[in-house]
Amino acid sequence: MKRYLLLALALLFAAIYLFPVYWMYATALKTSGSIFKYPPELWPSEPLVQVSRVFAEHDIGRYLWNSLLVASGITAITMLLGTGAAYALANARGTKANIALFLVIVLQVLPPSLMVTPLFVAFNHVGLLDYPRTAVVLATAAKTLAFYIVLCRATFTQVPRELKDAALVDGNSHLGAFFLIILPLARNGILITSVLVFLQSFGEYVYSRSFIATRELQTATVNLATYLSANSADWVGLMNYAGIYVAPILIVFILLQRQIVTGLTSGALK
Amino acid sequence: MLQSGFAKYLRDGKGFEGTLIVAAVLYLLVFAAFPLIYTVVMSFQEVDMFTLGTLVRPFAGLQNYTDLFHRPEFAPIVWNTVIFVTLSIAFQLTIGFALALFFLQDFPGSTYVRGLFLAGWILPALVVGAVWRWIFAGDFGVLNYALQSLGLIDGQIYWLSDPAYALYSVIIANIWLGIPFNMILLSVGLAGIPGDVYEAAEMDGANVFQRFLTITLPMMGPTLGAVIALGVIFTLQQFDLVAALTQGGPANASNVAQYWSWQMSFQTYEISGGATVATMMIALVIVVAVIYVRSVQREQSF
Repeated sequence: MKRYLLLALALLFAAIYLFPVYWMYATALKTSGSIFKYPPELWPSEPLVQVSRVFAEHDIGRYLWNSLLVASGITAITMLLGTGAAYALANARGTKANIALFLVIVLQVLPPSLMVTPLFVAFNHVGLLDYPRTAVVLATAAKTLAFYIVLCRATFTQVPRELKDAALVDGNSHLGAFFLIILPLARNGILITSVLVFLQSFGEYVYSRSFIATRELQTATVNLATYLSANSADWVGLMNYAGIYVAPILIVFILLQRQIVTGLTSGALK
Repeated sequence: MLQSGFAKYLRDGKGFEGTLIVAAVLYLLVFAAFPLIYTVVMSFQEVDMFTLGTLVRPFAGLQNYTDLFHRPEFAPIVWNTVIFVTLSIAFQLTIGFALALFFLQDFPGSTYVRGLFLAGWILPALVVGAVWRWIFAGDFGVLNYALQSLGLIDGQIYWLSDPAYALYSVIIANIWLGIPFNMILLSVGLAGIPGDVYEAAEMDGANVFQRFLTITLPMMGPTLGAVIALGVIFTLQQFDLVAALTQGGPANASNVAQYWSWQMSFQTYEISGGATVATMMIALVIVVAVIYVRSVQREQSF
């Protein structure tokens, strides 16, 4: 009995915590007249689905596509450069490896809003700002790469060393052992960390806001922020926009919830 | 001949793993370490729209720093940053710790319900900020309504436009964002405390509070250190929430250093000023990161 009481209490806490998410979707279903009722309607009395109207009106598809492109680019670079480095750092011992790992951890913590000034000036020099989305990808990947290496390294340390040694004895090269033995074993950890990197990049704001000047190339965060400051009374439109934007993120989260929690907890403190 | 030698080196042990590390470290040097050094350099230069395109700029000595310290908004923004970091972490940690202890109890679905909280961590901070802006709305906001129903306030609070409340609004939203991460990390730490220690203490007649003070807190020491350090790092990275909620206003009432730096560089084009704030903040973040790495190493060794 006490156990079910605790469960009820836990659900209550979760409901209070997740109220903002509920409020976003509840507001999205209200009419533009009913949101200005006070006291507010906690449940939309005449729910109205306006998703497709808002989607078309604000050309949300274009901005989501930009966000998708940027996030895919960031994830690709991160996986390509990070996986091998995480593996090598999981094996390596000694001063050089420690310095590399320390460098990775320290570079991971630099706030983007502080790094964006020098990056902007440098990118301006080399002409990268003419390709603003590429600039965003390159800058953000530096941040996600460090995060990815730290988490993936934890995954690789869990793969027993003996398996690699056995593969080498069997005549595999180090390259072969990595691709044929180690990678398949660490696959789940790598995939989950990549999903995390992708979800983070999908909501990137600082670099996109600072590098992308052309409206057509903006990511959804930048576009939503512009909309937020220009039409701060159109809460129905804004909450529909926000709701559309985070729907894919929430779906991935619900599907992979358990793996995401395990992935985070295994690597975050190590 | 030479080529095949190189190919063999790449396939071979040291060469293979070394190449993998070097590739990633090189990328980080170009896109993270170089900008880092470049910020420091720019903080000692005169950088404006005219010298932006050139590499060699007039050396400014400590002029940028003294200019910055003499600005009327310098002290308030530093103070705001201190309040922002301190209150955010104090509440994230306390609420996160309480929830972690709660979910440590044995009941059906505890892991699943605990995981639901991570939804707050995974959402883009800018979107979270947009939703909180609607919750905070003065006339029709649901927060004012909730507080009035509970009898805590009488009139409306204009959370985002009242200088007395603006900073605290951003802090409340930031606490919301930080709770799940704190809770999960502290849960991991709690799970690492062996159960028989508690059983022994219970047999010795220690009550719940004594057990918390004499076992849980001391055993959680290193974890708490790491979580606090990470909290400082994440809080100093928080930009999106400020952008979505108040843009540092009204009149810098809710401005914090990391947002101010960006504002100077990208809105008023005082790039030297932006770089100078960035340099000081980055120095602070690196100090905290070193403390974090050391506390994690200590934890692993014990």
